[in-house]
Amino acid sequence: MGFSLAEGPLLESERYNFDALNVLKDHPSRDMQDTFFIKDEPGYVLRTHTSPVQVRYMEAQIKERIKPPYAIVSMGKVFRNEATDMGHEAEFFQIEALAVGEDVTLANLKGTLARFFRELFGGTSVEVRFRPSFFPFTEPSVEVDMRIVGEHVTEKLRDKWMEMGGAGMVHPNVLKNVGVDSEKYQGFAFGFGIDRLAMLKWGIDDIRLMHSADLRFINQF
Amino acid sequence: MKVSRAWLQTFSTAPLPDIQALSDALTFHAFEIESVVNGVLDVKVTPNRGHDCLSHRGIAKEISAILNIPMKDDPLRVPISLEPIIDTVTITIKESALCSRYIAGYIRGVEVKPSPDWLKNVLEAIGQKSVNNIVDATNFVMFNIGQPLHVFDALNLAQGGDSKKIVIRRALKDEPITSLDNRQYALSDSDLIIADGLTGQPIGIAGVKGEILTSVKNSTRDIVVESASFDGASVRKTAQKLKLRTDASQRFEQGISPELAAYGMRAVTDLILKVAGGELVGFADEYPVPQSEKQVAVSVSQINRILGTLLTEKDIADAFTRLGLRYKLREASPRGVFEVAVPFERLDLVIPEDLVEEIARIEGYDKIPSAELPALSNDPEISGNYYAEETIREDLISKGYSEVYSSVFAEKGEREVLNKVGGEKPFLRWNLTYGLKEALERNSRNKDLLGLKEVKLFEIGTIWEAGKEEIVLGTVGEKEKATQTPLSKLKQGAPAPQYESYPISNTEHYRPFSKYPFIVRDIALWVPAGTESGTVLAAIRKEPGTLLVRSELFDTFEKAGKISYAFRLIFQSFEKTLTDGEANAVMENVYKEAKKRGWEVR
Repeated sequence: MGFSLAEGPLLESERYNFDALNVLKDHPSRDMQDTFFIKDEPGYVLRTHTSPVQVRYMEAQIKERIKPPYAIVSMGKVFRNEATDMGHEAEFFQIEALAVGEDVTLANLKGTLARFFRELFGGTSVEVRFRPSFFPFTEPSVEVDMRIVGEHVTEKLRDKWMEMGGAGMVHPNVLKNVGVDSEKYQGFAFGFGIDRLAMLKWGIDDIRLMHSADLRFINQF
Repeated sequence: MKVSRAWLQTFSTAPLPDIQALSDALTFHAFEIESVVNGVLDVKVTPNRGHDCLSHRGIAKEISAILNIPMKDDPLRVPISLEPIIDTVTITIKESALCSRYIAGYIRGVEVKPSPDWLKNVLEAIGQKSVNNIVDATNFVMFNIGQPLHVFDALNLAQGGDSKKIVIRRALKDEPITSLDNRQYALSDSDLIIADGLTGQPIGIAGVKGEILTSVKNSTRDIVVESASFDGASVRKTAQKLKLRTDASQRFEQGISPELAAYGMRAVTDLILKVAGGELVGFADEYPVPQSEKQVAVSVSQINRILGTLLTEKDIADAFTRLGLRYKLREASPRGVFEVAVPFERLDLVIPEDLVEEIARIEGYDKIPSAELPALSNDPEISGNYYAEETIREDLISKGYSEVYSSVFAEKGEREVLNKVGGEKPFLRWNLTYGLKEALERNSRNKDLLGLKEVKLFEIGTIWEAGKEEIVLGTVGEKEKATQTPLSKLKQGAPAPQYESYPISNTEHYRPFSKYPFIVRDIALWVPAGTESGTVLAAIRKEPGTLLVRSELFDTFEKAGKISYAFRLIFQSFEKTLTDGEANAVMENVYKEAKKRGWEVR
């Protein structure tokens, strides 16, 4: 689909993880993600999402005088300072996508997600549903639900709406912060937990298995 | 926030639909609903809507817009006045950046007593404890329109000549205060407080909590009511530092319009006079810089360009009207521009995109079509790291290695996490080898269960060493030492012009495995030549049933018209640890089955 793969560090500056993404200091939206801070290194965190890669990528492009369109995917570990249980891990994997151009729309986000889920889950028919949400780095912001229909789909997945993650149209402030002309360009972004996608696809009941390094789990795939 | 359907109904003449319909309406057009219990919705108000939606009025307004049910007497749209103005209470705001407005209302001769039933009931329905008529009145108004309020016992405020003096200032270093629930706090100059201007004593932590001596008691007769607007960031810092999150601080943290303070004051004085009697003396209102009126413009084409829709001028006008957003549609060129006058409480509406979201959610996200992304002109770049990682994966997997991911958290390392929940393994790992050796040890025990001759592992992961973050490849095996190499040293030349195909696993479904230990038994049998090993195995399998989790033929030879098959059998239960005795009993039955068929157990 023409997306490039982009990367960024796991130990990230607050500037990339929060500020440049329009997550303001001393605002409740900063609490939406429980953050690991680093001892004796103020201003640094373990990244709470893969979104800082968007900022790094766009900033680097602008520095090279390369204007949009941009289309990237980023995958990697992210961290939340939470107690762990079957559904929660302090470290997990996220997949993130960003598409910026002159006329990349919310409708394109829906179409792209439908394709992504179709390829991943192999259902004959995939429906994508949006619900209103809030993220500081997108406007409008949505929660993404997915439903797959088809005889060969496992019963656990068939005909059921499942929450997949957050998405939206890139907030103009994020584009401005990296030097992209937000009057001319617009785009979408989404970020999903890979662990959750895998859990749904293969019916895995405990997210902690992902980091267990246990071959009784790993060698099944 | 807990929202009751009965309370919402007070904002509408037309009957509201049932609670499930309200829940669905909010879910698909406004907010996530965490629960629906006995006519009460738990609404997860997003941080951008704390300005107006941490209140029944705010949610009622949403319902009105979504379901197109007109609102009855919107309390924020009726004209109000705060009169008479008095000088028997004076207000001095020393920090106008942290307090944009402070209103004091003076009432004499109230009677503090239990609330009337209706007031008790509405508060209890949303999980609030009824305290007394004065406190309940402030809570009712807060949950009704969103303005936090506080009441002082006027007799405990010093009297200087004709007036009482209220000062809003920063706390002094280590200035002590005892909260109304009798807890001691030491403040600092980053905290904003309310102080008695005559004695200098703190009488409240601004926007967070009141002070004990000046709080309302059963004996209270005269009261000073506070309705104010404090800076969100400042309240947030103080509440976080003191670990004192209150309903009031949660609302201030999000930022509340100073205009709302007047509506809060009017509503709470009216309610107190109704439920506690007394006589209104009047109001003092310090509001140095009134909130300016704001306009945001958005065009029909901009809305459609962002959403990918074909909405008409009429669709958009209709959504704005339902939301109570007054607009002017520009007639001159360029046409189709809506100039929206933002209501004072909607501090979230700042840029055109904010209005686009309003249109999208009121129209409904189901109206957004699904459109393929047009091919963006650039050729996708090939990531050097990813290409190298995939090449290494393919290579090692073909050599019998399994890939593992382990935690980046370790007991030792160069860099330490400041605030790990539970406090275990607070360091960031500085090598992969330690985790790999540990994983090898654990997996080696399961070798028979896994059917592996030798456990060999690799991990491609991040470490933090010598002041930098680096991706390294680590390998370990039962016959090889754990080693690691930076990925940068393994990359060879430029990546290929495109990725290979990396298909996802063909596995259909994950099978949970037993957490209990397993038992290994070998069996060797002489069977007549020509007997398939599968036939033998099927006979063996019959007896142990689900306890036999793995079986493997590991030796075959032929002699004098007979074949010897040797199998390794792995027994394991999902329910318990199997004993040797249980395994032996199963084996006895396997032997019997074999003998019955005339096979000879070696």
